[in-house]
Amino acid sequence: MLKLIKLEWKKNNIIKYIRNAVILAVLLCLFIYALAFLGIANDPDGTLDAAEGMNTISAPIELFTSMSFLIFTSVMLASFIVSAYKNKTMNLMFSYPIKRQKILASQMTAVWLFNFAALVITKLFLYASVSIGSRGMQSPFLIDFDMGDLSFYVQLLMKAVVTVSMSFIALFVGMYMKSSKATIIASFILIFLTQANIGDYSLADNRVFPIALTVISFIFAVLSIYNAETKDLL
Amino acid sequence: MPNILQTNQLTKTIDGRDLVKNVNIHVKRGEIYGFLGPNGAGKTTVMKMITNLWKPTSGSVELFGEKLTKSSYEVLKRMGSMIEFPCFYDHMSGKENLQLHCEYMGYFTPGCVENALEMLGLSEAGEQPVKRYSLGMKQRLGIARAILCKPELLVLDEPTNGLDPAGMKQLRDLFGMLRTEYGITIILSSHMLSEVESIADMIGVIHHGRMRTEISMREISEKNTAYIELTAGDSRKAAYVLTEKLGLDHFRVMDERSIRIYDTRIDTQDISKALAMHEVQLVSISKKSESLEDYFLKLTEEGEKSC
Repeated sequence: MLKLIKLEWKKNNIIKYIRNAVILAVLLCLFIYALAFLGIANDPDGTLDAAEGMNTISAPIELFTSMSFLIFTSVMLASFIVSAYKNKTMNLMFSYPIKRQKILASQMTAVWLFNFAALVITKLFLYASVSIGSRGMQSPFLIDFDMGDLSFYVQLLMKAVVTVSMSFIALFVGMYMKSSKATIIASFILIFLTQANIGDYSLADNRVFPIALTVISFIFAVLSIYNAETKDLL
Repeated sequence: MPNILQTNQLTKTIDGRDLVKNVNIHVKRGEIYGFLGPNGAGKTTVMKMITNLWKPTSGSVELFGEKLTKSSYEVLKRMGSMIEFPCFYDHMSGKENLQLHCEYMGYFTPGCVENALEMLGLSEAGEQPVKRYSLGMKQRLGIARAILCKPELLVLDEPTNGLDPAGMKQLRDLFGMLRTEYGITIILSSHMLSEVESIADMIGVIHHGRMRTEISMREISEKNTAYIELTAGDSRKAAYVLTEKLGLDHFRVMDERSIRIYDTRIDTQDISKALAMHEVQLVSISKKSESLEDYFLKLTEEGEKSC
């Protein structure tokens, strides 16, 4: 399995994705830095223009990293799996003496692992930048995290799992519709569903919701590969 | 000799349409099997089922004496295939693509990649990324990939697609070599009979998803020997001249006026001269030969009528 995952990375030109992830992380960092210390989200009078409860710096960090990497993961899943069906390299893969479900699972794991790692590193990078910056500068945001606390890391990892896994729902949609575009559009819809507020109500703050979402994501992951053994490739 | 590949009443129906119906193929070990049919006859469909890419609606495929099921994976190690147009990972070089293939097949013989590239005349292009390859080069790389792991059975769908005549010739030589030197059984499809007639041992003809015939090349050439058709005023008199004066015995009197001479070595001029000398009226004389192409067309046209 590990070997299959490595081969997936190799043949899908993982270097390109590493480069893109680094660019994404740097852009996110610049943006968060500007938010936190350069006051781009401030009103002209210098006070922060943020909703009640959103004036902590972790809120934009979580929002923007999750958003970006959910899309990034979906794009990768689309090019690893959905477009492999379309450009027929999947036909080639299925002519190997390897169980089809295993092939698909290894592709999904390859993307999942990569993005999980990238997301965790990016988040750590952002939090660390903000935390270093806050030593010398004043931020209109509340610096509401403590990088010395273990629960900070546990939460960070858990949230990364939820975010990256969610893209499996997008993958299922993409595979069902046989379209890379559908995969990516589905990931946008997922962002709206999970991050948006309706009045005071937001799914983002619920405690049960992330767990339910992860479970649902994995159900969709299983559904995506469930009938691979018998389904004909067109 | 046992059949290395056999299909029993193989049928594939998609959306209520029979792509192929009740196809029976028998391929013996060590032979080259030419699978012929016009475009859209169902050749690729059958080959997809042989390689287990598609599952039959009914009927079965037997490979190496074992029935193919949806969990037959080990059997895939023993075959090499190229179905439809070959796909590659375009950003990688030809060589890397082949190495990747070895990894997935679990086949590690040093030098096999270089060897396969050389057999297909791709040694120099091997280092280039596949996206720079021409159509014919991709096709050849696809064949290199199919033969890379020294399979026992080679399944090739229209392998000469996109190749120039020299390339086709090279391929035919290669297939002959693979069979004699490595004992590889080859099944290859084509819509052109002329492509396979020089190398195939057996021919299977499919049309509109149904098998028309399965026949050995030897039988075909016996069936289709050329002959001289002779129309004379009196065929009995003419027959007398042929036997007594020209010493021919391999001919048949068809009716009162016509004779078919199967001994084609004799010159038509000699015949007409001899007949004239013995005052047998000669209406016409002509050489006839039914080429394989005609035979093939006849088979597929018959199919057309019955459908």
